Amino acid sequence: MHWPWERAKENLSEELESHLEMAIAERVADGEDPAQARAAAVRELGNLPLIEDVTRERWGWLWLENCLHDTRYALRQLRRAPAFTATALLTLAFGIGANLGVFQLLYAVILAELPVPHPEEVVRIHAARSPFDQSWTVSYPAYQRLRASTPDVPLMASAYAQDATLELPNRTPIKAACTLVSDNYFGGLGIAPAVGRLFVQADERMGQSEWPVVLRYDFARNTFGSAQQAVGQHVLLNDRAVVVIGVAHQRFLGDRTGYAPDIWLPLALQSTGALAVPWDSLGPGHDVSLNKPWYNQPTIFWLVLMARIPPERRSAVLSHWDQAFRNDREVMTEATADPVVKAALLNVKTEVAPLSENGMRKRFTAPLTFLMALSASIFLVGCLNLANLQLARLHARAHELSVRMALGANRSRLIRQIVLEDALLVAAGSVCAFVLGRAASGILVRWASNRNALFTFDLHPSLAVAALGVGLMLLSLLCFSILPAVIFIRTGVAQTAGSRAKVAGISQTSRQRVHSNVLLCTQVSLSLLLSTMSGCFAATLVHWETVDVGMDREHVLIVRPELHQPRYTDHSEMLPELYSQIQERLQALPGVRSAAVEMCGGIHCGWITALYVHGRNNLTDAQVHGQEDHVGLGFFSTLGIPILRGRDFSSSDTDKTQRVAIISHAYARQLFGDADPVGQWVGYVPAPDDHKFLIVGEVADARVNGAEREAPPVVYMSINQNPAPVNSIRVRAVGDPRQLSDSVRHALYEVDPTLPISEIVPLVTELNGDLGTEKLLARLAGIYASLTLLLVAIGFYGVMSSRTARRKSEFGIRLALGATRRHIQMLIVGQTARILLAGILPGAILSVLAVRAAGHFLYGSVGVNSLAIIMASLVLVSTGSIAALIPARRAAFADPLETLRGE
Amino acid sequence: MTETPKYQNRIELLQGTLDMLVLKALLREPMHGYAIAQLIRSRSSEVLTVETGSLYPALHRLERQKWVKSNWKLSESKQRAKYYQLTALGKKQLTADHNCWLQMVCAFGAVMEPEVQP
Repeated sequence: MHWPWERAKENLSEELESHLEMAIAERVADGEDPAQARAAAVRELGNLPLIEDVTRERWGWLWLENCLHDTRYALRQLRRAPAFTATALLTLAFGIGANLGVFQLLYAVILAELPVPHPEEVVRIHAARSPFDQSWTVSYPAYQRLRASTPDVPLMASAYAQDATLELPNRTPIKAACTLVSDNYFGGLGIAPAVGRLFVQADERMGQSEWPVVLRYDFARNTFGSAQQAVGQHVLLNDRAVVVIGVAHQRFLGDRTGYAPDIWLPLALQSTGALAVPWDSLGPGHDVSLNKPWYNQPTIFWLVLMARIPPERRSAVLSHWDQAFRNDREVMTEATADPVVKAALLNVKTEVAPLSENGMRKRFTAPLTFLMALSASIFLVGCLNLANLQLARLHARAHELSVRMALGANRSRLIRQIVLEDALLVAAGSVCAFVLGRAASGILVRWASNRNALFTFDLHPSLAVAALGVGLMLLSLLCFSILPAVIFIRTGVAQTAGSRAKVAGISQTSRQRVHSNVLLCTQVSLSLLLSTMSGCFAATLVHWETVDVGMDREHVLIVRPELHQPRYTDHSEMLPELYSQIQERLQALPGVRSAAVEMCGGIHCGWITALYVHGRNNLTDAQVHGQEDHVGLGFFSTLGIPILRGRDFSSSDTDKTQRVAIISHAYARQLFGDADPVGQWVGYVPAPDDHKFLIVGEVADARVNGAEREAPPVVYMSINQNPAPVNSIRVRAVGDPRQLSDSVRHALYEVDPTLPISEIVPLVTELNGDLGTEKLLARLAGIYASLTLLLVAIGFYGVMSSRTARRKSEFGIRLALGATRRHIQMLIVGQTARILLAGILPGAILSVLAVRAAGHFLYGSVGVNSLAIIMASLVLVSTGSIAALIPARRAAFADPLETLRGE
Repeated sequence: MTETPKYQNRIELLQGTLDMLVLKALLREPMHGYAIAQLIRSRSSEVLTVETGSLYPALHRLERQKWVKSNWKLSESKQRAKYYQLTALGKKQLTADHNCWLQMVCAFGAVMEPEVQP
């Protein structure tokens, strides 16, 4: 490459050369001898290179030239040490990348605010908890009343619906997450459309032939190619005609952290029954017609409220709403017979809660903070490792550096060159880290998500993440470059300068050795901590994956049929017959032990109900509330839930005979204590209608809400007495249930060719898919642990190699004087062992403290956790020893004559 | 550690006057560095000798300040040399420097030999 100053430099040389020539010519003309004339002229001219240097400084861009020189020099140095360069790059990329990835997630879950103007003004409105689900939902009439009482305060309502099927012309249908929102939702939040328009009042009209919908930006782009193309599209949503009127701002992912709707629809769409919306009500017998529109039913609670109120106006607005909501509270008291609950309900005041107080945050704050701490330790291990390698590397270069200093090199320029070399590394490493961090946060979200519900977070690069990245970059530069360089230049070179013998370095000063030993010890401690945590998290994951859930988790297959179609719902009396055909056909398959239908489609599904015991009217809400599920014949034997007392449902239980129920052990204890529940009468409502069902059996508890949650109290009713479409068919296999998928699908096709099957999944997959947090912790800690082990290995190898290289002549003399090779090896291995032990002790203490701190998400026993510490120590010791053994062997097997001759 | 020789300091000391002398030398015609040095030496009857180590840094500085400009030409002895030429800006600077210097000479004179002054 030809730099502009190369030319200028040549010019300057030529100018000075011509000056010299003229001076000589004049002296010769004056009669001097040419040789003498030249000598005199040169003497008169002075130090030519120095003149050039000083002149060049006048040009004003010498610093730039020097910088480029230094950069070129640094690149050359890095190329000359490819192993070090690669180690440093990878360490930095992983060390910084891991932190960025975790922090990005932490930021999105915990710190990020809604991307709207004045997000602190937007709050959730908690008017009252719904009677059964205990969710903060209200009825549509109540919402209208509250909104009317304070016309100047934007009060927004929303309801999360179940995923709907979106049919696009000439494409396979896709599933989309839907949310119903009030007409003032976007306006009240202050969301701008990216394209098109958002909802206005006219969109709330009932009975539209084509409903307006708004799409999420990324969804619009992924589905239609771009936001512009999406607007104006006419598509079918659950067979209902909808038209895309607009796309919301790119950064707006809905108001619930982690759950971004793909489609927003007007609340009035509920009246069409096109979407399944979760609801709560006063319970059976309170004049609830789910099949009719909900907008005029004050006893269906389904709307979540949110408002924008400046803090200073809050108390006034809330007291207004308390007045307006009074009537609804009274209606709600009808759902309970518990006088304490009734009184409490009437005294509840309407409250506001910040949007940030959500389940997501509650669930992930502790694990993510902990992961952040682990990420910080891996960064620290990385920096220490690099600092150590850097010191070793500088020692290896001591001779070169001291010679350069002796020749007059500028001390600050030397430090600058070393630091520049590392700055280049750090910059390149950080670029990799940013890329890695972005990819990592995407992967982390996938790990943390449940099996079939991927969380959606705003993972756009934010200022906070960038600041952290730059901060870590500078910190790593300080740790791994500036400090070692300064330490080295101050202690190392001054002492070694000049003496070849010293440089060759029998005398690495004890202080330098202590420096690198302390660094290694710290690395060992932190790495022990990370390995232990990885072991504990793995144990926790295994615990949840193998814990007794009260069901045969390994052999059950969940089949999800699509029965919610008019063909089945309009003829529900035919369903029991269909169920029995399905059961018979499936049980005839080879490899199937039994099969049964169930209302629940999987885990987290049973709905909350109340059971009142005939003849006892002193039960509290805490006693009567439980979970309900409707199941077919043979359900308990299919799931492997043992019957403790009484009997199973039988084919003689039909809608013409006495209604029967089977309750779980937990529910039985709740209602009857230790008494036998079989033969007791219960009902959904207090007396006089509290003897609708006869309890015929008691079954063992099962963790139907997921492995991590306690087994809930459940009442099972017979599906044949309440014919309705089921959401799952359970098949218990003799062997691996996965192998049955095809034959089950085929058998169901034979029973009813028109019945679509949406999914076939083993129960174990469903249960394990729910362990997002545990998986996130176990996998990430596992990766961290292996990374630190690798770093420790590299650290020991690097430091020990450089030490043995420096002690080569010493070893040569020792060998020549009769030391055995074993002796030499033991010297090095012994040193390594001492460092390892010194690191493991504080590491173990650190680990015990960390295990305590993380106690509430660790479920391995104390024994398992201590075992994790011991195992981690053993792994560390062997890793460190093996890494040190390589240079030890090399030193011991070197030819002493060779090394001594080299002296 | 060795120190960088303090060439720069010597230039600093001479700076004001050296610039003026160089500019003055160039007032009549463009010249190369050697000729400037010779001119100053001969005009000052060999009292002022401009060292090469000061002259060239000064020339390059003046050029950077756009007081002189340079181009390569053949000298009388048919040798390629870099000729410096005064710019309009340089002339202005020379006038200013000259005035300043005259004032200073007067002032120095008044201080050193008060009895000579009327």
